[in-house]
Amino acid sequence: MDRRTAINLFRLLVLVGCSAPALWLGWQWFYGDLGAVPGEAVVHFTGKTGLILLLMTIAFSPAFRFTGWVGFMAARRQIGLWAFFWLVAHMLAWMGLDQYWDWPWIRREMVELPYIRYGVAALLLLVPLAVTSFARVRKAMGWTAWHWLHRLIYVAAALGVTHLWILTRADYLLPMLFAATLAALVLFRLIDAAIHRQ
Amino acid sequence: MSRYRYPSIPESQVTPRELLESRRRFLNTGLALGAAAVAPGLLWPRSSHAWQGVLEARLDTQLPSHDLAGGEAPTSLRDITTYNNFYEFGTGKRDPETFAHRLVTDPWSLTIEGEVDKAGTFVLEDVLKHQELEERIYRLRCVEAWSKVVPWIGFPLANLLKRHEPTSRARYVVFESIHDPDNLRGQRRSVLDWPYREVLRIDEAMHPLTLLAVGLYGEILPNQSGAPIRLVVPWKYGFKSIKSIMRISLVEERPPSSWEERNPEEYGFYANVNPQVDHPRWSQARERRIGESGRRETLMFNGYADEVAHLYAGMDLQRHY
Repeated sequence: MDRRTAINLFRLLVLVGCSAPALWLGWQWFYGDLGAVPGEAVVHFTGKTGLILLLMTIAFSPAFRFTGWVGFMAARRQIGLWAFFWLVAHMLAWMGLDQYWDWPWIRREMVELPYIRYGVAALLLLVPLAVTSFARVRKAMGWTAWHWLHRLIYVAAALGVTHLWILTRADYLLPMLFAATLAALVLFRLIDAAIHRQ
Repeated sequence: MSRYRYPSIPESQVTPRELLESRRRFLNTGLALGAAAVAPGLLWPRSSHAWQGVLEARLDTQLPSHDLAGGEAPTSLRDITTYNNFYEFGTGKRDPETFAHRLVTDPWSLTIEGEVDKAGTFVLEDVLKHQELEERIYRLRCVEAWSKVVPWIGFPLANLLKRHEPTSRARYVVFESIHDPDNLRGQRRSVLDWPYREVLRIDEAMHPLTLLAVGLYGEILPNQSGAPIRLVVPWKYGFKSIKSIMRISLVEERPPSSWEERNPEEYGFYANVNPQVDHPRWSQARERRIGESGRRETLMFNGYADEVAHLYAGMDLQRHY
């Protein structure tokens, strides 16, 4: 298999891997397999998927550093946009299936509840990243500015993990896993930067 | 109120938990085997399914039914039994349904101890024999802002407590659930300090609305709903209604309940349903009725204010949440 084919296959894999969960969710919804409160199941599923994909997006550049394989860089924008897609779906599911489009309450919860605030902040930070993810915009911005702006993904991920952490009632296994993964990725980034500066 | 302090006992005198539980198992089996050995042919052997036999015979009769949910339709059995918080099986809402078959309810005995004149450990069939069962349809409001309407079958806790003659020093009633990490996967992790413990003030425990439930929708209580015997306190958040009870102690000074111990800012001792006092992380003003879309306004004391508000007369409910 030549280089080009391998990269294309990997991109296809990301496409399938990131869209298949939506098909699965639609299937479960259609057949009533999401339990007694399907809306809540959709909110949880979209949120978890979005956060996992966000962390995977961050992990793609270390993966490239370790393996030297450019496929990771070629698919990074795609997986980042998928993360954004899932997190937007998460917010819409919360507004529609959890709050039933009750705008006064949605506003109230956004203002009053810390975990909602963190979630909304994370998503807002991702908007400029999604908008500037296209090659033409990136070129127009210049590499340095683009690179600085896109470091916001770490802030967004930290806010996302905090969002999950503070809405957890007692079982912190999952938020701890997410937090540890993010910490490892940040640590890698710092060490990598330190080495390259020398 | 002064904070409860555990009496200090030297480490050497504490029975290791495994030993205690194996003794408990031995005693339970011993009771069953012993009764079966002395009574063959004379009595029903007290081997397995003894309490189920007693209960099923009672469920087959016409039980009085009381609607205490204002005529609202009960939530479907499916929704009641597939969306539960029962952390002994895991923290997911569907974990209890998935893993409930691991709960060993046979044989089952209930220990009643502390400030009572008639303390002891009783097999469940004996407990049931002395109680009149009835159906009670109650609203159930979870602290997580969802609710159900549940047709329980049971008897007032007061009727049980009175039989055991509480002393004048009995100010609180402490309930303890089963502890069996071999079968209850949730107990292998310290999400809460197992076994689950709940506490009521004696007047709350003696209130006629406070129920010990053994059935649901006319049948024996499903495991995930807290079989074989559980508490139902309809004006308090659901976590107060402890499931699978093995021990009831009447005490003068109360220990903290499990959730109170885990996070006292968020889960108060009283935990009365109150739309005006928000949980620190979410609003309690509204609730999601399972099986319905949209939200409902949460009712003061879950709609039982006329019956129970006097218990808290003069108390600052913002402080005693």
